[in-house]
Amino acid sequence: MENRLIITKYSDQYYPPSPTSFTLFWRRFIPFQLIRFFVLNWKIIRIVVKGHT
Amino acid sequence: MAKIVVLGAGVAGHTAASYLQRNLGKEHQITVVSPSVNYQWIPSNIWVGVGRMMADDIKFDLRPLYKKWKIEFLQAKAINFYPEGDAILQEGYVEVEYTSSEKSGVRQKIPYDFLINATGPKLNFAATEGLLPGTGNIASVCTFSHATEAWQLLQEKIKKMEQGEKQVFVIGTGNPTATCQGAAFEYILNVDFEIKRRGLDALADVIWITNEYELGDFGMGGAFIKKGGFVTNTKLFAESYFVERNITWIKRAGVKKIDEHKIYYENLEGEYLEQKYDFAMLIPGFSGHGFKAYDKRGSDISEQLFAANGLMKVDADYTPKPFEEWSINDWPQTYQNPSFPNIFAPGIAFAPPHSISKPMKSKNGTPIFATAPRTGMPSGVMGKVTAENIIAWIKTGNPQMVHKASMGKMGAACIVSAGYGMTKGTAATMTVSPVVPDWDRFPDWGRDINFTMGEPGLAGHWLKWAMHYMFLYKAKGKPFWWLIPE
Ligand SMILES: Cc1cc2nc3c(=O)[nH]c(=O)nc-3n(C[C@H](O)[C@H](O)[C@H](O)COP(=O)(O)OP(=O)(O)OC[C@H]3O[C@@H](n4cnc5c(N)ncnc54)[C@H](O)[C@@H]3O)c2cc1C
Repeated sequence: MENRLIITKYSDQYYPPSPTSFTLFWRRFIPFQLIRFFVLNWKIIRIVVKGHT
Repeated sequence: MAKIVVLGAGVAGHTAASYLQRNLGKEHQITVVSPSVNYQWIPSNIWVGVGRMMADDIKFDLRPLYKKWKIEFLQAKAINFYPEGDAILQEGYVEVEYTSSEKSGVRQKIPYDFLINATGPKLNFAATEGLLPGTGNIASVCTFSHATEAWQLLQEKIKKMEQGEKQVFVIGTGNPTATCQGAAFEYILNVDFEIKRRGLDALADVIWITNEYELGDFGMGGAFIKKGGFVTNTKLFAESYFVERNITWIKRAGVKKIDEHKIYYENLEGEYLEQKYDFAMLIPGFSGHGFKAYDKRGSDISEQLFAANGLMKVDADYTPKPFEEWSINDWPQTYQNPSFPNIFAPGIAFAPPHSISKPMKSKNGTPIFATAPRTGMPSGVMGKVTAENIIAWIKTGNPQMVHKASMGKMGAACIVSAGYGMTKGTAATMTVSPVVPDWDRFPDWGRDINFTMGEPGLAGHWLKWAMHYMFLYKAKGKPFWWLIPE
């Protein structure tokens, strides 16, 4: 990634993973994100409902 | 007739008051005491702080709603607690001081049968020398008025960059044991997004400063999530988010002092260091409000009600024990005060038994670590559970506390906005289940790996945006509000 070029080698910032353009594409691809929207909603609702008695 | 007094009209207090009025008959009296007439949806302060929303978009006046619901509203702040009453008034009461312009400073005794202390945190700016939002180059997004000022300051800095002047933005925690890293994390990502959107990134250094041992700790000891075919830690997730954006970071830093141009901090190595800045948004330490409690003879019994940090003692296990022996059983389930069973403290107002992250000290002995967060979703659930237990007690006459919600069992979702926009926006949907890791139940990862996640994407922004409107709809008591979960 081009970001890496301005990161000092051996600093903390040098090691973590950077998303590829493929990953970035899916993060913005509306049809895929629409599906994720419903999946995430379901997961959150399940967490809230199961969290208390 | 039962008298229920709710102190605080934030997430926990307003949720409790809403369920109480819905489930109790008109013969019971509900009183809400809050220094402000507004309910504010705090998570959207982030967008006020970058000019994407106005303060009026995230708050509303509670008085018409409470009038409709026949809830008595007092614009006042609680000061002293008299759980046994006193020589004159022989029933538990709370002393309040009015904050409304007409009655400002007037004190009154408010008797109760049940008291819900949902006063949230005191934003303890004074605990860090010089940390006062609105002065110099220091901002805050903890309230809607702070966030409005933050946006004004940010605009000044943006103008300077447009004139070719380089600016350093430092955002994070402003106290060695601050919590609420998530809010600062959101704000730094949004500030960065707005700078990049204006093509000014070459003129901005954006720096994260945090008391976390590792990034992604968020005061809950971090979390394990599934990512790219691995189970990985939120450390990697948070760092990757920053690397993608060229945001640099300073970790294990306890901010001690701030002046107009420099932040002074100590790190776990015991070094005293400085960081120059032009714009700083640092979350202050949280504490209790300094309430005092007295018995009927007037002797100070504050220690029975409040922990050393001023937050209220509840049904937690406060026995001091080493980190290795901490368990989810230390965490409260009903938020009931052990000395006075008719007093409850849901939300940030309750004193946690300990932090969730491992406590750390610098070589000089300064504690530097993230204390326990109590985010909106658990605060709402605690408010609801408290109301349900009081309702059951009033209806059956039996104080059995069947409704329970422990942070060691319930999960939390936090949508970390990283930029506003229906097609260009983004947010990371972060969920943990449970909030406090349960290593007995989930020996591998401490939490349910299928419901603990961190997923960046446009869908996260839609979620955060939808939640803004959904939770304000619920808070406004619009038709079928109770169908919306906390
Ligand atoms: C900028 C920011 C962003 C956040 N984003 C998220 C997020 O995305 N998701 C999430 O889950 N959580 C988020 N949080 C955390 C969330 O806002 C809190 O967990 C939640 O507000 C806690 O609710 P509470 O009712 O305990 O306290 P509060 O909401 O703070 O309410 C306290 C109430 O008590 C009143 N009060 C204060 N003193 C007194 C007194 N002496 N007498 C009577 N009343 C008093 C206050 O006026 C207020 O009405 C964020 C927090 C901040 C600061």
